[in-house]
Amino acid sequence: MRATVPLPYSPPNLSRRELLQASGLGLGTLVLDYLLARNEARAADGGPAFRGTPRARSVIMLVQNGGPSQMDLFDPKPELTRQSGKTMTVETFQKGNSDKLMASPLEFRRYGECGMEISSLLPNLGSVADDLCLVRSMFSEHNNHTEGLVLLNTGKIFPGRPALGSWVSYALGTENDSLPAYIVLRDPEGYNTSGTLLWQNGWLPAEYRGTEVATQGAPVLNLSPRQPVAAELRRGQLDVLARLNERHRLDYPHESELEARIRNYELAARMQLAAGALLDLSTETAETQRLYGLDRPETAGYGLRCLMARRLVESGVRFIQVFPPVKPQSQPWDAHSNVKTENEAICGKCDQPSAALIKDLKRRGLLEDTLVIWSGEFGRLPVSQNGSGRDHNRNAFSLLLAGGGARGGYVHGATDEVGYQAAIDRVSVHDLHATVLHLLGLDHRGLTYYHHGSDESLTDARVTRASIVKDLLA
Amino acid sequence: MAAQRIRFIAVSARERFSRLARLGAIGVLTRMTAVLLPSATVVSADDHWAFRPLGTVSVPAVSGAGPIDNPIDGFILTKLAERGLTISPPVEPRALLRRAAFDLTGLPPTPEEIAAFEADASATAWSETLDRLLASPHFGERWGRHWLDQAGYVDVLGGDNDAGTIKFGENKWLYRDYVVASFNADKPFDRFLTEQLAGDELVDWRSAADFTPSMRELLIATGFLRVSADDTDEHELNTLDIRYGVLHRTTEIVVTNLLGLTIGCAKCHDHKFEPITQRDYYRFEALLQPALNPHQWLQPRDRQLAALPPAAKADAERTNAELDQQIAAAKAQIESVKQACAERLRESRFASLPEPIRADTKAALAAGVEKRTEVQRYLAEKFQALAKISPEEVAAGLNAEEKDKIGGYERQIAEQNGRKRTWPHWQVVYDVGPPTPTCLLRRGNHLAPGSEVAPGFPHVLCAGNSGDLERDANGNGSAGATSGRRLALAHWLTAPGSPAASLVARVWVNRVWQHLFGRGIVETSDNFGLTGSPPTHPELLDWLATRLIADGWQLKPLVKQIMLSSTYRQMSVERQPDAPRIDPDNRLLWRQRLRRLESETIRDAILAASGRLDRSVGGPPVPLVPQPDGSFTIKPEQAADRFRKTIYLLMRRNYHPTLLAVFDQPVLTTNCTRRDSSAVVLQSLTMLNDDFVVEESAALAARVSANAGASWDERIDMAFRLTLGRRPADDETAWCRETVERDAALVRAARPEMPVEQASLEALSRLCQTLVNSSEFLYLR
Repeated sequence: MRATVPLPYSPPNLSRRELLQASGLGLGTLVLDYLLARNEARAADGGPAFRGTPRARSVIMLVQNGGPSQMDLFDPKPELTRQSGKTMTVETFQKGNSDKLMASPLEFRRYGECGMEISSLLPNLGSVADDLCLVRSMFSEHNNHTEGLVLLNTGKIFPGRPALGSWVSYALGTENDSLPAYIVLRDPEGYNTSGTLLWQNGWLPAEYRGTEVATQGAPVLNLSPRQPVAAELRRGQLDVLARLNERHRLDYPHESELEARIRNYELAARMQLAAGALLDLSTETAETQRLYGLDRPETAGYGLRCLMARRLVESGVRFIQVFPPVKPQSQPWDAHSNVKTENEAICGKCDQPSAALIKDLKRRGLLEDTLVIWSGEFGRLPVSQNGSGRDHNRNAFSLLLAGGGARGGYVHGATDEVGYQAAIDRVSVHDLHATVLHLLGLDHRGLTYYHHGSDESLTDARVTRASIVKDLLA
Repeated sequence: MAAQRIRFIAVSARERFSRLARLGAIGVLTRMTAVLLPSATVVSADDHWAFRPLGTVSVPAVSGAGPIDNPIDGFILTKLAERGLTISPPVEPRALLRRAAFDLTGLPPTPEEIAAFEADASATAWSETLDRLLASPHFGERWGRHWLDQAGYVDVLGGDNDAGTIKFGENKWLYRDYVVASFNADKPFDRFLTEQLAGDELVDWRSAADFTPSMRELLIATGFLRVSADDTDEHELNTLDIRYGVLHRTTEIVVTNLLGLTIGCAKCHDHKFEPITQRDYYRFEALLQPALNPHQWLQPRDRQLAALPPAAKADAERTNAELDQQIAAAKAQIESVKQACAERLRESRFASLPEPIRADTKAALAAGVEKRTEVQRYLAEKFQALAKISPEEVAAGLNAEEKDKIGGYERQIAEQNGRKRTWPHWQVVYDVGPPTPTCLLRRGNHLAPGSEVAPGFPHVLCAGNSGDLERDANGNGSAGATSGRRLALAHWLTAPGSPAASLVARVWVNRVWQHLFGRGIVETSDNFGLTGSPPTHPELLDWLATRLIADGWQLKPLVKQIMLSSTYRQMSVERQPDAPRIDPDNRLLWRQRLRRLESETIRDAILAASGRLDRSVGGPPVPLVPQPDGSFTIKPEQAADRFRKTIYLLMRRNYHPTLLAVFDQPVLTTNCTRRDSSAVVLQSLTMLNDDFVVEESAALAARVSANAGASWDERIDMAFRLTLGRRPADDETAWCRETVERDAALVRAARPEMPVEQASLEALSRLCQTLVNSSEFLYLR
């Protein structure tokens, strides 16, 4: 079991042939890359990393960076309204904070049969409230965007560790041998704050790094040459290459890397076809395209990424990270100057597509085993900043889960009366990670990788005391 | 206390054993036994092989192996013989030269060099070739690049979180050039370390009248301690926790780099698996604290050092201030001349007003807005345009005398501006003030300081001494107003015969070995502790370390000695039928390891093949502009620099040009002591489709067409020699000829208007690209 044997160094050089022989001897799936290791094979083998029945087969993480304002969007605080204008001392981050509490200028409504209260700026997410698991008692560790985002995605505030998606693809591999297991869908206009740090493989092998797939132009950088090459010419080229590489490989029958390199040219060809087909939306009905808001300029970009995420899940991709628009700013939920107008703008872009994804997954029967996570890196302060904005707040934020074994129509935990700190049933980012892995049938304590002299894990539970939040499970 | 810790380690090793046993991973267990046993059998941490001082090592004699003229082979052959193995035959000369040229210069040999080497049958040919390569200015680039990795050097100052934000450190790259020059000069390693840790403490630069070149070099060397990401230039991030982060990271980078120990855990608690206490961590950190003191923090802008001595800088600033005053005075003079002119123009305009209201209007306009009477408000409003004289009107209204006056002042200002002094800055460290107390931080939390600790060294490397730094400043020859703590650290790390210097030498020779064999004698080259892997050849490691010190810590003789060995020169091809079964991972070196070129070397090798490589050494980094699609381009105005060696392209932490990123260019959040060598699909896509590879393949084809004969066979032959360093076999020529002929015909069929020669060039360019895609190009045989 690759995921559980605490290898003291990089995996031994075993060839594919050796591996197949070895697996007959009980080595199981100590396999070098995810292309060889199918989910079925790994799960059947059991072991400390695998525990319980997986509820989710894949994950879509809708990263909402910037710090969505919990008391304006997800966490109504009547007491904050009542005490508006009163003085309160809080931990601030930037300049320009007043010490006066500020009522939310936005309205809340009850949605769904469960009566979940969320902002009237999010009517579409409201329309799927009965599928949403709203956690109001999240807290982070740092007030800066990068540290917060790196924590949310890797489990520590400092960069350099593998992302959640890397861990998941390392443990579970892919179900599609033409596409990477871990795909990142970002705005083609640029990177969000902290960019590539959020899908790094850290010290896990490079194949577990997130692969950026663009929703316009070339889906993957260098998927095809700038000047098209006629298929016949390319075939001739690959033919000679295969001959040269095979001759070279014969000198090194035990160097698995050379075999992988040869296979990669086959995979590259398959990926060209598969990734090209991903962008072909002609198979999507006009109704579906409208559902995601592809017909409106403000929702079209993020909407297309959400639609692509569904298509990737359908194709067997394991982990997909979706990012919100980068214009006019690369951390779109960062409402420092006006929580009303800034949230109106970003909700107008993100609400409909996020909800469309959940609806669409559901009607296709995919939501059941696809876990959707909608989350920012931290929340905002109850006091005002720069007049009618709010500063960063690591002490409380809200997030949404849907599908994949998460409990729908449920609100978990609570903040204090003004929404400053998570107060009841507090959930750390580590608890979230433990819960996500659990839903995938993985034990966060058992899923380890040997690095620098110790068995590293995503949650580092010995230090963080991460534990599964049972209440979030359906 | 030590006994308890050791027992813990033993138990943990046993636990790991039983966990593995439960998994039934017998095959893995066998391979791991060698790793586990040493820590399981350690009786005292002081006994750990890495912490012992170097002793004398005798070179083993190998029976029946014939005369051995290189001790290295003795060590290797002995171990192999124990398993019934031996080393493989020497690799053919052309492959040997290719291997050596990449290892020493990061560049391929030219076809002419290969031909000459193949033709030279003299006994000294190999040794002379090594001397030539070791003397190449590219040696410093190649080995400097290795050092920059382990030091964690990048051209930027911050965490480099956002693709679009590049926090370029002014002249930070001078440190990179210092490293390259130091390797080229074969600066003794002990001196090299001392300069980097404490160059600023070796000379009293604070009271220097002028920075001499050697003073400049010593200051720039301390860029070594400016590698940690530092985002305290941002107001919100100039906080104690972020500052401590910079200090912690610097400490940890220095320790993994020089001592091969992972001490990060000890920031929060005594290390669970290593004999490193939390106190050790903070004592060590206290050595750096006077320079990077979170309580006397300098933001990067203030920390950078003016490239002229403090006294001279004060002088220059005084001169500048005086000049600024004079300039301000001259500007005021110009202003008053213009005022007078404006006044004259105004008067003449007022003259156009009817006489009865002239005086009243002037008075109204002169009166304060608040104090105007109703009549005055009316007048002021009606005639305010009259009083307004635009700068253009003034300029047009100046008389000759006024123009002369202004011209004179302007010339004076220009002359004085020209006399103002400007100076560049360097990214260095120096003690920012007298040391303040260092406290152990409970759970690593700066808000929970514990007891105060004295500066000192990890106890396990102190041979029973307290390890306390005995006194600050001037006790150890440090110069000027500085604590001398870093100089003391440098002395401690390099004092002959000490456990610390022994470890430093072992760690360094192990990395040298790693660069020449793809894997260190200690595979975990960043971890020489109890949890690291044990050396496969402990005596050889110690022999090399002893040899390094005996050679005056010089690198080149050591590298040459290794490369002269039959162990280095043997082929990588598997020729011993039983060997893969007996030693499947080739830990004992029964063949040279097949090694892939690193990211930079791949780019440089492609440029060398295309003939477009710019071999100039040193200078500011070539800026790269991030594009929305994740690629990077070179600014059009820097187009001339686009063929420079990769070490001179802007080095960032997280954002690398695609070709480099896919070939495992490390993300330098801290440092990197060992590169990965992955084989991922994006490499294939990049080599097939990336603009750079496509363009350079075309350039290579053009080079081949211009220099080889007109026949396909001649061209194929040259393309092979330029890329793979060998001639093609007959069947390879046939495959390639068949393909290029067909390709050329296909190109012509699609575009009949294309001249034959151009269609051939296209076909050839595709073949050239195939060759750089081949495994043979990417690996050292």
